Amino acid sequence: MAPAAIPYHQVRDDLWRPLAGASKRYTLTLVLLSAIALWGLIAWGYQIRVGIGVAGIRRPVFWGFYLVDFVFWIGISHAGTLISAILRLTDADWRKPVTRAAEAITVFALMIGGLFPLIHLGRVWLFYWLFPYPNSRLLWPNFRSPLMWDVTAISTYLTGSVIFLYLPLIPDVAQLSEHAKGWRLRLYKVLALGWTGSDREWHALERAMKLMAGIILAVAVSVHSVVAWDFAMAIAPMWHSTIFAPYFVVGAIFSGLAGLILALTIVRKTMRLESYLTPHHFGNLAKLLLLMSLLWLYFTFAEHLTVWYGNEPKEMSVFGARVRGRFSPEFWAMVVVNFVVPFVLLGIRRLRSIRTATIASIGVLVGMWLERYLIIVPTLSMPRLSAAWGRYSPSWVEISITVATFAAMAALYLVFSKLFPIVSVWEFEPHAQEEE
Amino acid sequence: MSLYLAGTFGTKEAALQAIKELKASGYGPQDLTVFSDEPVEFPRGVLDRPSHMSLAVVSGAAVFFLLVVSFVYFTQYDYKLVTGGMPIFSFWPTAVVFFEMTMLGAILTTFGWFIWESGLLRRDKSVPVPAVEPEAICLRIRCVPEQLETIAAALENAGARNVGKLAQAL
Repeated sequence: MAPAAIPYHQVRDDLWRPLAGASKRYTLTLVLLSAIALWGLIAWGYQIRVGIGVAGIRRPVFWGFYLVDFVFWIGISHAGTLISAILRLTDADWRKPVTRAAEAITVFALMIGGLFPLIHLGRVWLFYWLFPYPNSRLLWPNFRSPLMWDVTAISTYLTGSVIFLYLPLIPDVAQLSEHAKGWRLRLYKVLALGWTGSDREWHALERAMKLMAGIILAVAVSVHSVVAWDFAMAIAPMWHSTIFAPYFVVGAIFSGLAGLILALTIVRKTMRLESYLTPHHFGNLAKLLLLMSLLWLYFTFAEHLTVWYGNEPKEMSVFGARVRGRFSPEFWAMVVVNFVVPFVLLGIRRLRSIRTATIASIGVLVGMWLERYLIIVPTLSMPRLSAAWGRYSPSWVEISITVATFAAMAALYLVFSKLFPIVSVWEFEPHAQEEE
Repeated sequence: MSLYLAGTFGTKEAALQAIKELKASGYGPQDLTVFSDEPVEFPRGVLDRPSHMSLAVVSGAAVFFLLVVSFVYFTQYDYKLVTGGMPIFSFWPTAVVFFEMTMLGAILTTFGWFIWESGLLRRDKSVPVPAVEPEAICLRIRCVPEQLETIAAALENAGARNVGKLAQAL
């Protein structure tokens, strides 16, 4: 692999170079993304002012784009933590240029995903009712509600992910603080916590990272399981399924990997990190993506086969609408981009490259968003009482907010990559380590 | 009064040799500190730093678990929900909340213990920290003035590029 052969001082120079200054293209992109994100905020402000009625959600479809986006972004957040934690625990050497980029995705995707329950609330100013606090109305959250589980799961995951991103960042910001000036110097000094590079500090950091990797793995799996149980605990057609939790976890890792490959491709190109993010890294990630595609297909097939074989009328209504009814274009498009495209582009060795991995990843991101849409909307459109069936079409407010979150994600990532090295510098250690 | 001496090494092997020689002269891990821009690990028994982080993390998780179970139990009895004859407090439907809060305890304890064990935020400012060149390993030794020359010789014999006394902050 190329990185091991690059002298340490050059690694440092190469990875610090993108932090200096901002090109015209960078500034323009950031302004454009911020403007789109701001438009989303305006749309949300409009919804708060006028009321939740400006969204397209109405009886019987009370969960629309907002919940689709929530599940999608929580899924994307699995990019960093799960992938980074698994690779750290298994001491996979090729993870080094990948982990920080992945961990940053987790934090930002969680921040964005965590916003959607608040947006969906409508009366967002009452969100604190979800927290147990003493009040005179004998009002306490119902700890047995899956929505309360979401609050605890996402809070824990966000806390853990921020710490998981921050810990390996400390040595890098400490080094940066020796060379920075002005506000950057102050920022890096605060974040470095007085790091000196002593062996005590390194030992503590490595132990903490190993422990955090184990803990965060368990939390990451639990978070998407809890998101799945938001649906599976309801006795609604095609939701009340025992495999929903692992199905969601697989889908989350799948979409997270796709998000990571896309982010790494952009970072590699714009920051000229070709020597660090090599075809070898993309090849490994592409193989993982292919594996997850097959797993996703297996779960999707198992889920649909069980429903079809059971032939329960209410479930079959939703099944029929998905597979051959009004949702079938979305369903088959999902199958094509989540399975056929990755299988062809990544399964045939001659076709596997950075470009095809990126194309497959974009397809998977679209496909996984569609998958969440297909889980939520058809079931709610066709509840058990056929007299209550209805349709859902998103309003401009929902579309604006959805688009804005993608822009916000990209903008946050751009800002992060300008403040901190997107590839961990200290992990390219020049001194060979002892075998345990 | 203690003094601090620092030797800079280009390779891990040279630093290891110096540590072994100093340990043979009676210096222990408490007197020796290695500084580097990246983690440098020596074989077991050379410069061990015992850790209780795992135990602390398990304890932190256990404490959070007990706290959250008590919290949910007492609040559900103090602020009773209408459950239609079902138990007011039931463990399994709240198990997810317990699990997540237990994990939160583990996460926060890991971070807190890392800060404690690494010595960050409680570093003695009067103890000098050597400047480390990229790719170099610096060994700092706490010693008495009478031993200064002996240690400097040991460091040079082991292959130190630079050996010097570190100025202590007042």
